[in-house]
Amino acid sequence: MNDAYIIKGYRTAVGKAPRGFFRFKRPDELAAETIEFMINQIDGFDKSTIDDVIVGNAMPEAEQGLNVGRLISLMGLKIDDVPGVTVNRYCASGLETIAIAAAKIKSGMADCIIAGGVESMSFIPMGGYKPVPGYNIVSKGNEDYYWGMGLTAEQVAKDYNIKREDQDIFAFNSHQKALKAIEEDRFKNQIVPIKIDEIYLDNNNKKQTRSFNCNIDEGPRKDTSIEALNKLRPVFANNGSVTAGNSSQMSDGAAFLMIVSENYLKKLNIDPVARFVNYSVAGLPPKIMGVGPVKAIPKVLEKSNLKLNDIELIELNEAFASQSLAVLNELNINNDIVNVNGGAIALGHPLGCTGAKLSIQLIDEMQKRNLKYGMVTMCVGTGQGAAGIFEIL
Amino acid sequence: MNRNISKVAVLGSGIMGSGIACHFANIGVEVLLLDIAPKELNDKEIKQGLTLSDNIVKNRIVTEMFNRCIKSKPSPIFSKKFTNRVTLGNFDDDFAKIKDYDWIIEVVVERLDIKKLIFEKVDKFRREGTIVSSNTSGIPIKMMNEGRSDDFQKHFAVTHFFNPPRYLNLFEVVPGPNCNEEITEFLMNYGEKFLGKTSVLAKDTPAFIGNRIGVFGIQSILHEVDKGNYSIEEIDKLTGPVIGRPKSATFRTADVVGLDIMVHVAQGIYDNCKKDENREIFKLPDFVNNMISKNLLGSKTKKGFYKKITGDDGKSKILSIDLKTLEYKDQEKVKFETLEKAKKSKNKIDKYSVLISGDDKASNFYRSNFSKMFSYIQHRIPEIADHIYQIDDAVKTGFGWSDGPFEIWDYVGISKGVELMKSAGLDVADWIVDMKSNGNDSFYKNERGFITYYDKSTKKYVQKPGQESYIYLKNLPSEKSIWSNEECSINDLGDGIINIEFKSKMNSINQNILQGLNKGIDLAEEKYNGVVIGNEGQHFSAGADISMIFLMAVEQEYDELHYAMKLFQDTMMRMRYSSIPVVAAPHGYTFGGACELCLHCDRVIAHAETYVGLVEVGVGLIPGGGGTKEMTLRASDQFRKNDVEVNLLQEYFLNIGMGKVSTSGYEGFDLNYFKKDKDQVILNKKNQINFAKQTALNLHEAGYTKPIERTDIKVLGQQALGMFYVGADSMLAGGYISDHDKNIAKKIANVISGGNLSQQSFVSEQYLLELEREAFLSLCGERKTLERIQYMLKNGKPLRN
Repeated sequence: MNDAYIIKGYRTAVGKAPRGFFRFKRPDELAAETIEFMINQIDGFDKSTIDDVIVGNAMPEAEQGLNVGRLISLMGLKIDDVPGVTVNRYCASGLETIAIAAAKIKSGMADCIIAGGVESMSFIPMGGYKPVPGYNIVSKGNEDYYWGMGLTAEQVAKDYNIKREDQDIFAFNSHQKALKAIEEDRFKNQIVPIKIDEIYLDNNNKKQTRSFNCNIDEGPRKDTSIEALNKLRPVFANNGSVTAGNSSQMSDGAAFLMIVSENYLKKLNIDPVARFVNYSVAGLPPKIMGVGPVKAIPKVLEKSNLKLNDIELIELNEAFASQSLAVLNELNINNDIVNVNGGAIALGHPLGCTGAKLSIQLIDEMQKRNLKYGMVTMCVGTGQGAAGIFEIL
Repeated sequence: MNRNISKVAVLGSGIMGSGIACHFANIGVEVLLLDIAPKELNDKEIKQGLTLSDNIVKNRIVTEMFNRCIKSKPSPIFSKKFTNRVTLGNFDDDFAKIKDYDWIIEVVVERLDIKKLIFEKVDKFRREGTIVSSNTSGIPIKMMNEGRSDDFQKHFAVTHFFNPPRYLNLFEVVPGPNCNEEITEFLMNYGEKFLGKTSVLAKDTPAFIGNRIGVFGIQSILHEVDKGNYSIEEIDKLTGPVIGRPKSATFRTADVVGLDIMVHVAQGIYDNCKKDENREIFKLPDFVNNMISKNLLGSKTKKGFYKKITGDDGKSKILSIDLKTLEYKDQEKVKFETLEKAKKSKNKIDKYSVLISGDDKASNFYRSNFSKMFSYIQHRIPEIADHIYQIDDAVKTGFGWSDGPFEIWDYVGISKGVELMKSAGLDVADWIVDMKSNGNDSFYKNERGFITYYDKSTKKYVQKPGQESYIYLKNLPSEKSIWSNEECSINDLGDGIINIEFKSKMNSINQNILQGLNKGIDLAEEKYNGVVIGNEGQHFSAGADISMIFLMAVEQEYDELHYAMKLFQDTMMRMRYSSIPVVAAPHGYTFGGACELCLHCDRVIAHAETYVGLVEVGVGLIPGGGGTKEMTLRASDQFRKNDVEVNLLQEYFLNIGMGKVSTSGYEGFDLNYFKKDKDQVILNKKNQINFAKQTALNLHEAGYTKPIERTDIKVLGQQALGMFYVGADSMLAGGYISDHDKNIAKKIANVISGGNLSQQSFVSEQYLLELEREAFLSLCGERKTLERIQYMLKNGKPLRN
């Protein structure tokens, strides 16, 4: 079997939703500009040799509906030849697309695929515009299939006895790590600068244009403190422990990688950055979707013939502090190698983009630290977990 | 020529200024609210690098004051969205804008020098002919007028609002010495018709009418308390609802008003009314001065006569002050034999007779208190008012008393009142003696449906003005009565329109009321042109009588319960499906069954202060009188092609599920209980029945045809049910609702979705009414629902179980 190699990967800075710098930036444009930037980094690259563009998206409707993957391939590559597809595994979508690309390449179905994800939570609300739970399911008592994610985070906090104070400390640390990373310019190589032109009406009803560049993650807060976090009220449950401060932020962003076969590497005469080792997903009760990684991580380690000790760096998506702490505790993971540059609580969680974004961050940081094996893992709505392993070359 | 007010400038944004601005916004006027620009930057502004010339800094004071006002409870504004009718500004930059405003109201601090500076500027910038008024509570007009132009003086008056301006109805109009007659008339009319107030023409005497009499009442009590004759708790028990005054009675009211404000008014009267025979009463007892020096001013300093604390059990608790030590202590429980007796009286004359004839402390208080008050008011005519009704109107609407002092005197009896005064050593004014000796034994009379008052100067009974254009049900002569039972009466309003009036406890809808409603429609279909459903109770109606439902449910008489439900539904349906127009005139509480009644009427003429909602979940039920059906129907009428219909339906579902109640008549529209292009809000409560009558008449004259029952109501079936089930389950899992709440929510969902139909369908009203009955009856069989009803009947509050 062939191996699948990553040769490039870029992401946008992540904007806050629904009032951040990408609030009026259409997700299809954001994705297309990211891909265009990536292609331009390879001199003399022949775009028509790309086999497919696979786009992860968690709420594929409206501005990111209609098989947005195909629209993005047209818009980003500016030729007709390369198709596009949209993939949805909620918060793992961006990692799932890398896995699909790798699988196609390993099986010989493709040689070059652009994979990643995009999400605008400014444009599309969580759950979409028309949630229609199945009556026949919910009337039999399975309402939890459709629970909001915050409620599942409360359930995890309850079932795994995660205290409010610990959640707030975890959230605070996420911000501190992210602020330090930004100060040290650790994300600079990953980020595609995006220029925004907003046309709006000023206070006198005159049309104005506002232009600005976005290249620094908008989420981390310098002014946060454990005391401030402690003061926030639970938002998902009466007397609960999950707050806006210890949950991931709503975000807008795009991230894409180029994944190729060995033959293609030779043809391009380029050195790969990383090898995609393996990927697993696992299911569990929807009510406690937050602990999904507890099932997915052992599964992917076994498939890869690796032990948890072999993994030197982990990006664990911080959907909520409660579920992150539950996962770390249950698997006894060394906290020092997890989210070293901060996580989604500080940097944001643009759902369908997140898997690809975390992969890019992981690979970049591992290169800087000269490490070998790393993992991206996350919990996934309706009771799932996902985990993927990368090897730096 | 018509004078139109579309833009009002309010100068000064304190509690009163902001409150007045909000009330003008309430009635649809564009308001400019100005205050001073700050002289120093605050820390936050310094941090942000702002300067004193930045607009955001210049408007800081007015912005903070206005925001504090709109957040206060009860809300000064009918609907939050009305706040955008108010533009904020500052005296430096925006004063010149007043030239575009039709009326300029000054509400700055009560200092003549400052007011004069403001008026000088107003004189400079205002357009000729515009009205200028001051909200002063006592500065003489001629002093404020001084140095102003002729045109200014011709258009200058005091317009005195009471705090809070939205809720207290007194609007004192005091024309300046050179004020045009046209302006006085205009303001008197505007206060009633547009602001929904009771306008009282007052003279330029210290504190005008309301505060002069009201503060006299409070001051005389303060002196009694100072002598150690009564405790604070005793006074509040004696001067509360038992004599038709607010629950806050004397001292809680003082806390709300603020001791400093009250003292300021009392001091002003003391200083400026040197000839007042009771001047000493306005002098402050020492304990009041001590309280002020210790900053115990009431609600604004969180400590006054009462103080709210959180007890050891985590519950809040109210302590009262010990006037000797000025420390706070647990409230004492107060009970008086006379008050227990008074509870049994059949009418006010009986009640007052009981109150003054006992031999306990309570009766002593009333004898002393009433005689002092009678003595005081008799001497105020014509000093502060020419007519007795002006004193009664001012005290009633300014302090929330249900009866004015002359009215109370009438209940006590003129002779009895004179007797009380004499035995208290108080003199009786000549005109009272004169009036009595001429055989006039009351201050007011009801003559052929109109209230007349004894006019001191002509010694004759004169019709109280303003009644011709209104209809007062309580004054209608008996020949207008067409039919009545114990709790419901039907009266002829003239022009072929009849009125159905509820008179049950809290005007709740029971068998007698249902009988009256059916009878009224029968009669109207037979020989009249239209029906108004209106009353003059404190509230329109608290809803269906749940005690009846409770009894049948406990006895498990389900057939009878089903029959009663059907009767209720059929009666509601007759409101719409009859051959005559039916107009409802709700005001105050319009809950549950009363809301359902309004939902079915051809038109609703709601008073601005109407609190309408389907509150049945509070007693473990769903709206079963067509309310759930009507929410379904109204949602269906809003569906547009390609809309996500289920999201819209959810709004209607949540109305019922959360028992949402509007905080004003206007909000009734936001919650879809009232309907645009059909229903209407009226500010002037006095004109409500009359206007409802005109509305019914108009419908009749436009050619009214009985509507056809609807069979085209779009229901969403399983598509909606699934979402509502998940919503209810999530609320339960989040700990926001109980298991029984979820159970009730699912019942509501089933009706509003039209049952678990596989696909969207069109159904009839009768189909939905049947679903309503099923759901209602099944809930009546649940223990937790019965517990809720029982709790409500016992405690007047909902139980969450």
